[in-house]
Amino acid sequence: MPTRWGALPNSGIDKNPTPVDRIIRDPKIVAAVALVMLVLPPIGLTAAWLAFGQPLLDLMKATDPAILQFVFSLIMMGLVLFIVIHLCAALILAERKISAFIQDRQGPNRVGFFGLLQPIADGIKFMLKEDVTPARVDKPIFILAPCIAFVVAMISFPVIPWAGTVELPWGGTLTTQVASLDIGVLYILAINGLGVYGVVLAGWASNNKYAHYGGMRAAAQMLSYEIPIGLGVLVLLLVSSGTLRLEVIQDQQTATGLWNVFLHPIMFLLVLTANYAETNRAPFDLAECEQELIAGFHTEYSSMKFALFFLAEYAHMIIGSAVLVTLFLGGWEPLPGVSLLHGNNTWWAALIKFHIFWGKIIGLIGLYMLVRWTVPRFRFDQLMKLAWKGMIPIAMALVVIEGVLVAVGIKVDPTAGFVGNFGVLAVHLLVNAVLLGFILWQLSRTKAPVTGRQDNLPEIEVVPSRPAGQGGVSHA
Amino acid sequence: MPVVYLILITFGAAGLFLALPGRGQAFGRIGLLMLLGLVAASIAMLLPQLGGLGDRVAFALLAGIGLFGAIRVITHPRPVYSALFFIVLVVAMGGLLVLMNAGFVASALLIIYAGAILVTYLFVIMLAQQGTETAPYDASAREPLWGVLAGFLVLGTLTGHVLSGDAANELAAPAAGVLGTVGDVRPVGELLLTEYVVGVQLAGVLLLAAMVGAVAIAKRQAALQEEAG
Repeated sequence: MPTRWGALPNSGIDKNPTPVDRIIRDPKIVAAVALVMLVLPPIGLTAAWLAFGQPLLDLMKATDPAILQFVFSLIMMGLVLFIVIHLCAALILAERKISAFIQDRQGPNRVGFFGLLQPIADGIKFMLKEDVTPARVDKPIFILAPCIAFVVAMISFPVIPWAGTVELPWGGTLTTQVASLDIGVLYILAINGLGVYGVVLAGWASNNKYAHYGGMRAAAQMLSYEIPIGLGVLVLLLVSSGTLRLEVIQDQQTATGLWNVFLHPIMFLLVLTANYAETNRAPFDLAECEQELIAGFHTEYSSMKFALFFLAEYAHMIIGSAVLVTLFLGGWEPLPGVSLLHGNNTWWAALIKFHIFWGKIIGLIGLYMLVRWTVPRFRFDQLMKLAWKGMIPIAMALVVIEGVLVAVGIKVDPTAGFVGNFGVLAVHLLVNAVLLGFILWQLSRTKAPVTGRQDNLPEIEVVPSRPAGQGGVSHA
Repeated sequence: MPVVYLILITFGAAGLFLALPGRGQAFGRIGLLMLLGLVAASIAMLLPQLGGLGDRVAFALLAGIGLFGAIRVITHPRPVYSALFFIVLVVAMGGLLVLMNAGFVASALLIIYAGAILVTYLFVIMLAQQGTETAPYDASAREPLWGVLAGFLVLGTLTGHVLSGDAANELAAPAAGVLGTVGDVRPVGELLLTEYVVGVQLAGVLLLAAMVGAVAIAKRQAALQEEAG
């Protein structure tokens, strides 16, 4: 009888294990499969290198650099697509495990060792479920909406500088960034702006009041939270870079070892929070809030159409984290303060950089998940208030302050190194501390009520308009 | 050559008149076919003036998609679809601007029009009507004849101007080498803050006034609601 991990006593599956259960829960079989999966790829890669390595190198040397770059860009696009799709599956399992950990549950533990095969089961389930298209929906848009959501989530990836450039041993360079656009950051903002259509159209086309409300909420929310992101990018451009190219912004951070997150901690928090809202995740998931809207904009979606929305949400998380890593967290540099990999353009350094970049992305996504299962959901007026009365004024204040700093000449010098920029760092930390103190002071003065909408109604203007003797002010 | 263009535009105007909502399905289809023919013909006539093969393919695709979107914006009877085709048009325009090395304008167009203004349009249209039926007031165009005539005049004048030769000199493309070294964002920024700084300031004042106006309207409505309740 095979050992069962995490199995509950007396559950049906343990009394009557199916043949599949016997296989995927047998420790010997699991160990053998894991061994094969770990051992086979290196052996295969080494064999392939011995067989085809030298001819491949000769072919690469003989190829025109432009064509080589084109082929390499295609490979990078395929690789990133592969990673994103598979990472999405793994992240869904991670999300369920983390939520289980936070809520003191077991999480998925039935399919395979510790539930590790759960993503495969989920994928099979998505494909085998009936794909329902309700009768009264607007069919073209109903089908188009998940496609828009997914495509928009995927087309931001080409501008991310995954691992810098690679110098080839025989001269010439390859860049791992597929599209080096002069408008880099603006491109990401522009694509981000299109992201709202998938959700809004899904909500409208479903011909369902709950879905409609979800779509409307998502539109208002995404429009509001785009503004702090834009202002955050503006601050970065003002102070450190003077360019919109992502790879240059990243290179400036690695050259000095002074990541932007140390210079602009408040801005980083604002952009991070706005990213949570842009991805429609808790505590900002008002568009799919279960108590009020069933499932919000995707109430009527099933099977692979729903899976596309799900994938789009995770792809949005990945691209949002990748942009944050590039703009604020030093990209592929492993440690702040020292420029370990800066200027090292060998192929093995590129491999390390690629892994560090993805490591940082996964770390940020872990933060997303912790936040999702820790912080309770906002009410909609609180959500709007946070954006328009909280984040946007703070971001605007930061833009003004940084503008003044640049005007008096306090600016990051990319050639001065870490120590040479200490003065700039000290000034920025001081400014941020003062601003934080001011915000806290303001918060302590204005005690806003936690419940109800009293704080939104202008009491001074209202009371005189009421005839005398009608009793107290009622905020219905 | 101008005569050919004029004939084409007249043909297109007739097609547009037929394709506008309210002429019936058969006429609408004939009108759409005529307009698509016009699109194909004008793209085919413009293509030889462009450089490499890649440019030609990209231009033909983007212009075709953009023109199709533009036609459907005004000929589709349902407002939500019109707004969607408007988005298609804006995205295609962005692509055309990128072809002209105007990446900044392209992204500004996408951020402002597709990302903000059209979302608000969709918002309003979706709140106004839901369901799959065409509303009776959307079933036919209001003033199709005058609208088509005005469009015909605008297009005719523009085409005449472009073909007269003056415009060709005005719009002479800058050398590609300059763009390669400076990039396409810096020149725009420098122009905005030097030559057009007054315009930028005026636009800022205008937007501020609009914002104050919006706040004023919103405040008054809150008070009125309270009075009613």
